[in-house]
Amino acid sequence: MSILTLENINFSYGKTKVLKDISYEFENGKMYCIVGKSGAGKTTLLSLLSGLAKPHSGKILYKGEDIKNTDKYKYRSKYIGVIFQSFNLITKYTALENVMLSMDIAGVKGINKKKKAMELLLSVGLDEDEANRRVLKLSGGQMQRVAIARALSYDPEIILADEPTGNLDTETQNEIMEIFNSLAEQGKCVILVSHSPDVAKMCDECYELKRNSKK
Amino acid sequence: MYILKNSFKSIGRSKGRNVLIGIIVLAISVSACIGLSIRQAAQNAKESALEGMSITATISYDRQSAMKDFQPSMGEGGKRPEMPEGGFDRSEFSKMMGNDNSLSLEEYEKYAEADSVGAFYYTTTLSLNGSDNFLPVSDETEDETEEDSVESEENSQDFGFEMGGFGGKMPGPMGNMMFGSMSDFSVVGYSTHAAMSNFSAEGNSTITEGVMFTDETEDFECVISEELAIYNDINVGDTVIFTNPNNEEESYEFTVTGIYTSTEGNTTDFSAMMGATSLDPANSIYTSSNALAVIIANSEENSSTMTDEDTGREYETALTSTLSATYVFKDVESYEKFEDEARELGLSEEYTISSSDVAAYENSITPLTTLSKIAGYFLLVILGIGAIVLVVLNIFNVRERKYEIGVLTAMGMKKGKVATQFLCEIFAVTLSAVLIGAIIGGVCAVPVTNALLDSQLAQTKANEEQVQENFGGMPNMGNMPGMPGGMGGMGGMGGMSKPDNIDIPEGFMGEAQNYITEIDSAMNLTVVIQMLGIAVLLTLSAGAVSMLFVMRYDPLKILANRD
Repeated sequence: MSILTLENINFSYGKTKVLKDISYEFENGKMYCIVGKSGAGKTTLLSLLSGLAKPHSGKILYKGEDIKNTDKYKYRSKYIGVIFQSFNLITKYTALENVMLSMDIAGVKGINKKKKAMELLLSVGLDEDEANRRVLKLSGGQMQRVAIARALSYDPEIILADEPTGNLDTETQNEIMEIFNSLAEQGKCVILVSHSPDVAKMCDECYELKRNSKK
Repeated sequence: MYILKNSFKSIGRSKGRNVLIGIIVLAISVSACIGLSIRQAAQNAKESALEGMSITATISYDRQSAMKDFQPSMGEGGKRPEMPEGGFDRSEFSKMMGNDNSLSLEEYEKYAEADSVGAFYYTTTLSLNGSDNFLPVSDETEDETEEDSVESEENSQDFGFEMGGFGGKMPGPMGNMMFGSMSDFSVVGYSTHAAMSNFSAEGNSTITEGVMFTDETEDFECVISEELAIYNDINVGDTVIFTNPNNEEESYEFTVTGIYTSTEGNTTDFSAMMGATSLDPANSIYTSSNALAVIIANSEENSSTMTDEDTGREYETALTSTLSATYVFKDVESYEKFEDEARELGLSEEYTISSSDVAAYENSITPLTTLSKIAGYFLLVILGIGAIVLVVLNIFNVRERKYEIGVLTAMGMKKGKVATQFLCEIFAVTLSAVLIGAIIGGVCAVPVTNALLDSQLAQTKANEEQVQENFGGMPNMGNMPGMPGGMGGMGGMGGMSKPDNIDIPEGFMGEAQNYITEIDSAMNLTVVIQMLGIAVLLTLSAGAVSMLFVMRYDPLKILANRD
């Protein structure tokens, strides 16, 4: 059963139609890659999936329910984990605080948040010293890892990542993709937006915008 | 809970901005604290002095209000008064000014039944002439008096005519001066000894020889001043004869039971100027009001109509008295309640109830209350400017943190919670600054207030001196006896028959006013609560802007622009 379904999605910026009649189904335990040329609407689609934007027509169904009818804040803070292209971390906080904050926003209770956040940061390849460093003092790859840890902190079923390997070297790119792969294996639905053929190859399914083709 | 945690974390991570906001709020709060303290000091001074103080009040006819009905309406442009067609109704005017408007003893007694009234007493004042061997104290020599008597009489008649120009009589001794000759003595009858507060421990008069007249007696007994006794060689037990100034054949023989001395200043200069020796305190004679009631009744019984030779006007020879009633209240609350009760008992709106005790004290705190008013305006300005500065700073703050807002809302934090976090941050900074400001302000309030008070006092005194100069330094009219309520319209001269149980600061024509010159403390819990209110007010005004901005922001746009 699909966890996320797109039904005839249309979206435009002014008179420019970006997404036209898009329909697709995403399932748990798979890693998807949305590919397309620049300006094809990849990030727009990700925004729609993350509930940051609303489609002009069509429906996005989360577990069969239109996300338009659900609490968008709850949807964003609990059901999906978004990894933005520019990470979007709170720069004045440490890596650990950023992860803990997302747990607070999601209303995670009954666990030692600090311990869980540290475990997550360690699991994505940061050490304790880096975890307690302000994110501004981390490298791009480290910030990407913090963003992934933050997205995983409240255990969402869907992970959305916008160009997660865009600014990374090949070695780090492989490490990050390994993390996503393991998340999919854990039963999560991982949706990546990328124009890297290497990333696309590592995914279970690929949706190319405009050509509407599946790998 | 995490909102609070984030707020404090955020404050700690943005020290520069928060210190700047803190300094601004600190300056505002120190100024506000001093302003509030000044206002509180004025309030405290008023309340503490009036607390537990017994208040006396009188009822008087509201001439000012009645005068309005006679004032011609203003013409177009508000410059030129238009006289009513057919001229001015002088008979109505004189009725208004005359004794007809005085309340009767029965009416005064009716209002004394009000629950709030603790005690009630009254005085009756008559202006009487002496006899050949009983003359009033005067600074004129006997020879001069005799030589100038005719001229003096003419002058006084002229004066009387002017004063009674509308055909009415002024109540009180002045009223008795209107026709015929000026009277020699002011004879004050007290309803009870308790009413003779000037003979109490705190009073300014004492019996030096003999005894006080019998309380509430109808016998013709009196006490006279030491000066009068020496001037006429009178001893205790001697008799003195008074005559009706309008009818010399009508006379009354009083026995002097006592001789008193008074520290009250004399009004010789003024009385000489007015041609009325009865205004001199040395010529004040005290007796029982019951005795005067007998005289008044007798005078009315034997009254006849006479014609003034010079003016041709007719007048009654019966003595006219002035009645002054005083109500005593246990506290200010009772005094304030009395007005409603008296109105319920039928007191017309044409009469006003006033307390010279309260008025006198309010006068004494004039510089402080003026300073309090200025402090109030200063406070408003400071708060206004402070609020604007904080709002502007907060706008910059929110715009600067736009990205943070975008991230937080993108992560699923509700906009309301983001706004609340911002509000908590402002409140924490503002509250800390206000509390520090309250401490600094509290320490500075007393010296600053006293310094400002000194300056205000100097200004008030300078104004007072200017007024005295403008009025030609008229002497001490405030000490004139027996003008109860009759000259109510003359401000500082009103209610002069009140008991002297408190120190009444003199009016503008009298001695220097006893102003409050310094305060001991100004800060109290009320000021602290008001300061907290200011913190909340400033937070809300600045926070409202955060709210608006946060609610307006679209996270997607913020993050897209960032990308």
